[in-house]
Amino acid sequence: MKYICSVCRYVYDEEKEGTPFSELPESWVCPLCGAARSAFVPEEGEERPAPAVKPAAAPVHEGDEEMKELSFGALAALCSNLARGCEKQYKAEESALFLKLAEYFTAASPAPARAGLEELDGLFSADLAAGYPALRTAADEEGDRGTARICVWGEKVTAILHTLMQRYKREGDAFLRDTRIWVCSICGFVYVGDRPPALCPVCKVPAWKLEEVEGRASK
Amino acid sequence: MKMLAVRNLRLCTKDCLCLYVCPTGATDTEDSIIDLSKCIGCGMCADACPSKAISMVPEEYPPQQKKAEHVLTPSHTLANNKAKAEGMARLLAREAESGELYRLLKAVERSLRLVNEDLLRESGYMLPQSANTHELLASWVQEPPAPDFPVEAAKKLLELLPCNEPLEKKMHKYRCTVCGYIHEAEELPPDFSCPVCRQPASAFERIE
Repeated sequence: MKYICSVCRYVYDEEKEGTPFSELPESWVCPLCGAARSAFVPEEGEERPAPAVKPAAAPVHEGDEEMKELSFGALAALCSNLARGCEKQYKAEESALFLKLAEYFTAASPAPARAGLEELDGLFSADLAAGYPALRTAADEEGDRGTARICVWGEKVTAILHTLMQRYKREGDAFLRDTRIWVCSICGFVYVGDRPPALCPVCKVPAWKLEEVEGRASK
Repeated sequence: MKMLAVRNLRLCTKDCLCLYVCPTGATDTEDSIIDLSKCIGCGMCADACPSKAISMVPEEYPPQQKKAEHVLTPSHTLANNKAKAEGMARLLAREAESGELYRLLKAVERSLRLVNEDLLRESGYMLPQSANTHELLASWVQEPPAPDFPVEAAKKLLELLPCNEPLEKKMHKYRCTVCGYIHEAEELPPDFSCPVCRQPASAFERIE
């Protein structure tokens, strides 16, 4: 029996590996992308894996949902995205100005009332359970494949972040000690290991697009 | 459509054939970025490049596909949630006791920003030259979101960036109270008169 990673398509072949999938420890992660064991689905009759937390209810679109204003934090991301758009067009001055606006919105964004690793992981679970399914449904209904693509990448990256938070909760600093952490500069995929994979498991860009996260500057 | 040559420095293998063929010297610069003020868009450099490092892009980009409000509603909800998580990761990184946790949270913070940038790019803010971007910048100039907002930066961007689509006009409907004729316009000029019954502008009322 074969099991496929829903993030990167890595194949776990029980015959070759020698250990039945069901006997792998809960702490086992995908050797290619680091996704949790629960992200794997059997090869036959493959389906989208059920989200870890069930969506509360099917999203309703009766015009009763009001379009939310973007928060300062979201406007910061909107501006830093436009800065990238200018950079790609070799518009250095415009890029710097958008970055200035992004920095303003980041600094002016109110600090969260409650912050903790549990709360942070809770936000990832909420996106996986409700945020992405709602967006994907709307995108499919409109035939909006650009937004559907956002859901494919975003869901995978969020699943990885969720796995990392779970691992930290279980193993603490140990799994990060003496190793490096990488972030894909295109899709936000996070990889823990000495060398990044040859291709980003989520968006498939080459390894040089993955950037290492520097440690805290020593005092 | 006027085209311009751009060079991808990552792909450039410095074979320099673009220098041989460029009729204006636009490809020969100290920082390897093609001088757009000299480029005439002939495409000779792109054809000559053995590494396919030069591509031709239009000087003016086409308008972007419109996004359905039905998609934007869940998209904005998700964007605000991502921003909240990013702020939380930033704060927790600052307070992290170990170097390992600090790095992990910094990675999470950066990842969340990238995911959110991508999400908002797909929510109608792909091009800096789009009408959406212009309208947003103009709204900040007109009504700054906070007293210390850097209005000058937004103003400067409006000056620098051409808008690649007509800005959406806010149309209103005006009804002649005498004959019922309906006139559609952004604004009813004071010297307007009803084309049907000749009544002056003062006889009109805005209905929409």
